[in-house]
Amino acid sequence: MSMFIFLAICFAALALILLIRLFGGPSAADRAVAADAIEVLTDMALVLFALYSGRSIYLDIALVTAVLGFIGSVLIGRYLEGKL
Amino acid sequence: MIYVIYALIIVSLFFAAAGVVGMLRMPDAYCRMQSSTNVGTLGTLGVMIAAVLYSAIYLHDGGMAVKCAVIGIFLILTNPIAGHALAKGAYHHGVRLSKKTIMDKYGEDMEK
Amino acid sequence: MRKTTLPAFISTLVVCYIFWLLITGQIPAVFKGGAAPQILIAGVLVSILAAAFTARFFIHSRAFHLFNPVRLITLLFYCVIIFMKELIKANIDVAKRALSPKLPVKPGIVKVPTELKSDYGLSMLSNSITLTPGTITMDVADEEGGTNLYIHWIDVGSEDPKEAGDQIKGTMENWIRRIFE
Repeated sequence: MSMFIFLAICFAALALILLIRLFGGPSAADRAVAADAIEVLTDMALVLFALYSGRSIYLDIALVTAVLGFIGSVLIGRYLEGKL
Repeated sequence: MIYVIYALIIVSLFFAAAGVVGMLRMPDAYCRMQSSTNVGTLGTLGVMIAAVLYSAIYLHDGGMAVKCAVIGIFLILTNPIAGHALAKGAYHHGVRLSKKTIMDKYGEDMEK
Repeated sequence: MRKTTLPAFISTLVVCYIFWLLITGQIPAVFKGGAAPQILIAGVLVSILAAAFTARFFIHSRAFHLFNPVRLITLLFYCVIIFMKELIKANIDVAKRALSPKLPVKPGIVKVPTELKSDYGLSMLSNSITLTPGTITMDVADEEGGTNLYIHWIDVGSEDPKEAGDQIKGTMENWIRRIFE
């Protein structure tokens, strides 16, 4: 069981490493891609935490983060394209 | 069975780590997008299959297993759409291709 | 602006209702009997609202095309076996490139012809190409003499459009034509 929390911390650490690209990326597209990947990694950590605690309430949070991250990425992409 | 679940999660952790390293090392924004697809596909798939197996076998919670499967399918379905929008937006915004790029048919055809 | 037609409305309603059942976790209760009726009725109302507003964006023609069981089973087979094989191969390839010390990338944007005609088939093909790491579809262009896809490729294997298309698409295009055309 405590293996799950360890693996969740590993995923969260990967998301923290990606903050380098989020803050230092040369262009706006780099930052948007990094934010998208951070959202996916955070989702993974949330799902593993739901398995650790055995409660499905955290899965709802993961679903909402997934939806919001997708909408945000598409919005930034359309904005960069100049069609918004 | 629990070891199969751990192995699936560790495989997907490996691919996610490879994607993150690729995102830090690749030369330009488009190659970084390729690496971020690596995080979004096999990085999520292993965890989601493991979550479905664990919550169905050990927690005896069918609703939770279905919810895990829905999150996995949703992430896999929406990842390419976001990647496509970001790549096209970056190109029209004027993000440069790296010096290693050997051909650019899209730019040639847009200038016509 | 297109109008909402009745077949488009009905198929969007069915898909919305299945999604509602999935995210509220009612599927096991429905099969065992004893699902909470208020959740089922609320789902019908929400699905009707959602379908009435969004059906005209999702479905333009052939609304019941995928409700055919043969096509559904072919789609499932394609997703689980054919596509998964390509996905794992490409993932290992890109992970190797990212982790090797010399970073052997040779990126480029190639133009690839495709023979698919319908909107569903084209979007399925471009999503499949984007989902395999190493290739991203950037745009779809209609020209005389067929449809073309612009694809960013991390390791350009061939500059010729036909050969590049064969290397990128593999057997995926034939399966998608079998499902959607």
